[in-house]
Amino acid sequence: MGYLSLFVLSAGLAMLFLTAEGSLAQNSPGDFNQVASAASAAREQQDIPRAIELYQRAVRLHGDWAEGWWYLGTLRYGVNNYTSAVEALSHYIELTPNAGPAYALRGLCEFELGSYQESLHDLQHGISLGAANNPRNAGIISYHEAILLTKLDRFEEALAKYSVIVKHGNVNTDVTNGIGLAVLRMPMFPSDIHPSQQGLVLAAGQAAAKVMSGDMPGAARAFTDLFERYPNTPNLHYSYGYLLSSVDQEQAILQLRKELDISPSSAIVHSMLAWALGMQGEFAAALPNAQKAAEEEPSLPMAQLALGKDLIETGDIQGGLPHIEAVLKGDPNNLEAHLALAKAYSKLGQRDDARRERLLCLKLSGQGTAANENL
Amino acid sequence: MKIYKVLLVLMFSCAGLSAEQKQSVTTCGSCHQKQALTQPDTQMGRAMQLPEQNETLKAYPKLTFHRGAYSYLVETREGTTQYIVSDGTASISIPVLWSMGAQAQTWVLEHGGHMYESMVSYYPLTRGLDVTVGDDGLAPKTLEEAIGRPIDGEGVTTCFGCHATNAVIDHKLNLTAFKPGVGCEHCHIGANAHFANAMKGDFSNSPPSLGNLSSEDISNFCGQCHRSWELVVRAGWRGPANVRFQPYRLANSKCFDGADPRISCIACHDPHKRVSREAAYYDQKCLACHSEAASMAPPHAKVCPVAKSNCSSCHMPKVPFPGGHFVFTDHDIRIVKPGEPYPN
Repeated sequence: MGYLSLFVLSAGLAMLFLTAEGSLAQNSPGDFNQVASAASAAREQQDIPRAIELYQRAVRLHGDWAEGWWYLGTLRYGVNNYTSAVEALSHYIELTPNAGPAYALRGLCEFELGSYQESLHDLQHGISLGAANNPRNAGIISYHEAILLTKLDRFEEALAKYSVIVKHGNVNTDVTNGIGLAVLRMPMFPSDIHPSQQGLVLAAGQAAAKVMSGDMPGAARAFTDLFERYPNTPNLHYSYGYLLSSVDQEQAILQLRKELDISPSSAIVHSMLAWALGMQGEFAAALPNAQKAAEEEPSLPMAQLALGKDLIETGDIQGGLPHIEAVLKGDPNNLEAHLALAKAYSKLGQRDDARRERLLCLKLSGQGTAANENL
Repeated sequence: MKIYKVLLVLMFSCAGLSAEQKQSVTTCGSCHQKQALTQPDTQMGRAMQLPEQNETLKAYPKLTFHRGAYSYLVETREGTTQYIVSDGTASISIPVLWSMGAQAQTWVLEHGGHMYESMVSYYPLTRGLDVTVGDDGLAPKTLEEAIGRPIDGEGVTTCFGCHATNAVIDHKLNLTAFKPGVGCEHCHIGANAHFANAMKGDFSNSPPSLGNLSSEDISNFCGQCHRSWELVVRAGWRGPANVRFQPYRLANSKCFDGADPRISCIACHDPHKRVSREAAYYDQKCLACHSEAASMAPPHAKVCPVAKSNCSSCHMPKVPFPGGHFVFTDHDIRIVKPGEPYPN
């Protein structure tokens, strides 16, 4: 059944996006008006098969009837006909390019079809267009985004999404298991967890959720218990350190060092440790970790970023620039890479280049928030 | 022989100085007299004050304020100050140990094992108490909450890290041997060891000279407390409240060049001296580039067609800090257009 009710609720919002073509189509003569009215009536009467058939006929008569494509998409999604739903929603999106809910619903269809990259792309584009502004929609869409990020090995981004979900209070077993998978860096969905690992995943998720909710003493107790119950399990110390890095850098560095005892060759751990040390201004101390990370996994953007930044900060600006440029090749809007470039150019006295990078950084960091007056 | 000379200089240098100044002089002033004599009286030197040295609290021994159901009394008697919060039926009295700020003062308070930033602060503009900036949104429901904003371990470390010297060691708060205010060791890391060695005649390990840092590096160095450009961007702090983050504002200026010493923080401000409030004082700094006579003027440096003096009065406008109480000089140096919004 999926989340049809959600998107039927969203239909009102989506209707706002309907274009002039839709109005024109309704005004055209012949069978169309009759079929469209009948489709609408069947839908309201919950006669879904009939409604689908009538909407199909209507959009065959008028392919530019956006409303028809939208309802056809939602109805097909509701009966688990995801391939056809994607087709209908794609027509709707062509006619209504800024319809966030349609992107999100197409993303959910693609999720069901196993097209995970496409699904994530559509969900994120839908969110950028406001599909998650409604709190109920936000929970479902963000959850799918988070589990997809985990499935696609983008664990840090997944943890960031889960943090938002937890802060909104939308925590249940699925979410907790999802967090656990991201913590353990296991690229799978909660439904795929092997029974032998359910205890570990759930406990990891519960501990991390405490950090995300700001319960630091509770998190410390939960992680300590976790480390005792599952010693030498990779990624627990890393993820705890990662989650702590924005609130307690000392503790974060300690946890990352502990992870290196378990995973001495992990590029992500070395690069995160290098980053955390760099955030404390200890760039010389960070450099060996950054170098090790780049050596172990040269394609890891975080490793390149840490190495580039550490080289720039320790005086080897020319040595650092290629690493930063490598990051920007894969991610042209990476704020941290542009921050590093701004500093490098400024140190080199390339005033115009530095200014260009600074202006770009200001743009990338968005409007931001009002500066807290007591900072 | 060298040691005796040092001690001789110390004896003379210390005469007529406060205990605080003497402490500074006995550590560094024997050789660096010029800096040590004036630095303790700068705003940075007085960034934290202890009650017995707090001239403001001595001058205003009974400061009162009412906010909602709570009243505040900051009372100084015989060198000790109490911060008293009352709801009419009960009260909490906390000794003031640490006053943050050379002009406006906010107090860091310890109560029940927790640290607080005082709900009210002293403001020189009104010569009285008002709500601490940024705390307007706090709506205390209990007497404890009315004390002020709780500050966690990292927050306390940040306060003491910038307002005191040697209070944070290896990123951890250590109040066993700290010195209030920004002293020599705060910026010149290794100054204490250098002094100890110098007393033995060993002058080989001088702290690195900060004067040799590039404008970019000195901006980041000062930005550790005054907030660097990178920190503000990363945090996304926008709006007029960021006017007090001078390194951030300066780096946004079109004329900022990280390799040109003429636009460095220390090109205009000697950290060992009190900040000049006279616009004319800074004219020569601007004219070092923006003048037909300027040697090595960068090609982008235009000569002002309007005036040759008081440059900063036009190009560095005064910006009122949100909530009142302060006006800051905007270090985003620019051609200011009438009615333009605050450039973030």
